[in-house]
Amino acid sequence: MFDYRAFALRNLASIAPRYLPFADVATAEVPLSRLMRLSLFQVTVGMALVLLVGTLNRVMIVELAVPATLVAGMLALPLIFAPLRTLIGFKSDTHRSALGWRRVPYIWKGTMYQFGGFAIMPFALLVLSGYGEAVDAPRWVGLSSAALAFLLVGAGLHIVQTVGLALATDLVKEEDHPKVVGLMYVMLLFGMVVSALIYGALLTNYTPGRLIQVIQGSAVVTVGLNLLALWKQESRNRERAREMEIAPRVYFRDAWSTLIARPGTIQLLLMIGLGTFGFGMADVLLEPYGGQALGFSVAQTTKLTAILAGGTLIGFGIASRALSIGGSPIRLAAFGAIIGIPGFIAVIVSSALIGPSLFVVGTLATGVGAGLFGHGTLTATIRNAPKDQIGLSLGAWGAVQATCAGIGVALAGIVRDVLVGLPAFSGLQTHTPYNVVFTIEIVFLALAIVVAIPLAARFSQTGAGRVASGPQSNPVEAP
Amino acid sequence: MSEDPDKVWPTGLNLKEAEEVHSYLIDGTRVFGALALLAHILVAFTTPWLG
Repeated sequence: MFDYRAFALRNLASIAPRYLPFADVATAEVPLSRLMRLSLFQVTVGMALVLLVGTLNRVMIVELAVPATLVAGMLALPLIFAPLRTLIGFKSDTHRSALGWRRVPYIWKGTMYQFGGFAIMPFALLVLSGYGEAVDAPRWVGLSSAALAFLLVGAGLHIVQTVGLALATDLVKEEDHPKVVGLMYVMLLFGMVVSALIYGALLTNYTPGRLIQVIQGSAVVTVGLNLLALWKQESRNRERAREMEIAPRVYFRDAWSTLIARPGTIQLLLMIGLGTFGFGMADVLLEPYGGQALGFSVAQTTKLTAILAGGTLIGFGIASRALSIGGSPIRLAAFGAIIGIPGFIAVIVSSALIGPSLFVVGTLATGVGAGLFGHGTLTATIRNAPKDQIGLSLGAWGAVQATCAGIGVALAGIVRDVLVGLPAFSGLQTHTPYNVVFTIEIVFLALAIVVAIPLAARFSQTGAGRVASGPQSNPVEAP
Repeated sequence: MSEDPDKVWPTGLNLKEAEEVHSYLIDGTRVFGALALLAHILVAFTTPWLG
């Protein structure tokens, strides 16, 4: 008689692994299509950033009539999680899993938090703004639920980005790291630009219902894209699972002191902080500067952002090429800061002398500089990372980078507003407060270059041969 | 086919691995449930549907 049970067992056993979320084998060569798929997590991060910093900033102030200081406070909440990226990266390095997974569990949890934050955010915002019957609701309900929503989204995006970058670093060989870094940055930028356009189009006719649809739609898209990005990326590895079980417990303090004891790590982090701060301050001020000091229309200032993004893309492209043929990432990052300085000088001078054409050139130059700087410093971080501390190193990079960029954006607005409000400055021209901020940026970029020079010399002595010597061991199989 | 006594039918995972995969599902469901509850409470504040 036909043995149904054996037949079913055989067939199910052969098809089932296809429906499980891990790679069958750890392959030496990871095809580009798989990396492209993995980089989708950066699209969701970009989407969340645009929604927080751009779209909701406007919607909360204009449509929901929430006080601007409260909005600024709410939007700053995700920054609290930025320093914790170091801890998240460390935990993913030392994670214990029966499947041998280190990164996937964290990306999944991060995705859940991001999804959860978006899921409750529209209702929290409606309660906060006192929409409908919520006028009678106690004040703390709206405040605490909105704060929780922003915290969840912030925690989620920091977890996803840190651990996702660590996973990408695990997957590819050392000489391909510049390409991966370039791909990740381009996908982040792509996610930000596309989602900004989509949010803008969807929210032109604002209704509370539309707000709920858009934010909850983002939640669903986040889970969908991150699942697609994660699927079958990290291999199931019983060897590694056994090693995890018997591995001695590492404490964060010890791991951290090992990392910063490596020569150059602190200087590199300092350089990342200074440079990111310098470039980050410009992001929010270029558009109003173009509008107020140079008389650009709204459509023209929007094009400015496109020019800045285009310059950044050019920077990523140059960096990827230069680094994959063996350039020094530190030197490249310093070069980015060096390009940024005349860029900002051009922006400052344009209000007094030549006008819009010089301003556009300056904006493009700062974009290219920011691209080179971002790519160079992240590649340097990855190259400098010990094999068993990739998560921790990327966590430290992300903590410094996200904190400094966030503080830069916040400070830029505060410095400008304070200067505008000062009575001593009331007789001055509109471009003066902006030029003060741009001068601060030049100073910070110069400081970054000062830190970079000895660092570049050190790395060219000790680390120059690392790319030429080829991959040390297959990172996928590394414990 | 199977010499590992812990192996779970039909995925080829062993017991510990299967439990770990299951734990992700359980945690996800809990987080999802808690958030859904919170979202419903917030909606009830804006547009009450129970009395």
